[in-house]
Amino acid sequence: MRAWRRDDRGLATLETILMLVILVPLLFAILEFGWLTQRWLAQDGVALQAARYAGELGGDRPELRSYIQEQLLLVGIDPGRVVVEIEPSNIAWREPVRVSLRTDEQVAIPFLFTTSVAVRSTAVARGEVNQ
Amino acid sequence: MRQDEAGTAALTTIVMLPLLLVVLVGVLEMGALRAVAHRAGAAADLATIVAVGDQDQLELALSGKLRLAADAADIARDYFARNLSATVPALGASADAIAASADIASFPTAPSLDPRTGARYDRPTIRLIASIPIRTPGFAALLMPAVTTVTVRSVSSPR
Repeated sequence: MRAWRRDDRGLATLETILMLVILVPLLFAILEFGWLTQRWLAQDGVALQAARYAGELGGDRPELRSYIQEQLLLVGIDPGRVVVEIEPSNIAWREPVRVSLRTDEQVAIPFLFTTSVAVRSTAVARGEVNQ
Repeated sequence: MRQDEAGTAALTTIVMLPLLLVVLVGVLEMGALRAVAHRAGAAADLATIVAVGDQDQLELALSGKLRLAADAADIARDYFARNLSATVPALGASADAIAASADIASFPTAPSLDPRTGARYDRPTIRLIASIPIRTPGFAALLMPAVTTVTVRSVSSPR
């Protein structure tokens, strides 16, 4: 037993590994959370502007779809990964229009898990054209 | 001597782990709080913008002057609730309740003076001030309030 206790070769390595297993997930949790929050706020901004534009156009129009794609690219989001819903597709003056954006983002925490998180943004504006 | 130091790093980690977890939870919760507060502010902005987008059509036709619609404050309240509803899981009250308690004032003609803020408006204006209760379970785990209230303000005028 005494011989075993005196033999501390590799102990520092073992302790370092133990610390890394704890600290690395903590670090990645903070990084991933910040990244997800940034994505959410950026996508939210696009949804808000798109809802206003939908109100000006009178609903779901090709110009609106193009605008959303451009804005998503500007904030660093791949438009191909975003599901866009505009309801209703046609609105009259003073009627509400809802623009929803959804992206499935991967979150990976080393040693713990990898999962997909749905980032959703919704904005409601009002029809501004008398069709 | 080296034998005495065996396990020091592991012991330090175990002792520091609760502190690290506290810092982690605090940082994450603070970030979430700021994100939700930002979202609520954006909802308030959109609500007031929508409300000032609708003008008193009769006044506009008769005099050519901008004058807010008579129901502008109600419209702002309605759209504030609609836009807050996307954030409801993070809120400490329903979107309708928060919107109902919001202080929304309409200043349909200009110039006007806001009795609450003292601001002078040179154009027709909608002003919204709301207290947003936000769930903060991370803070609750650190023996702090489970709900944190932030105040959002928004002012919009037509061009």
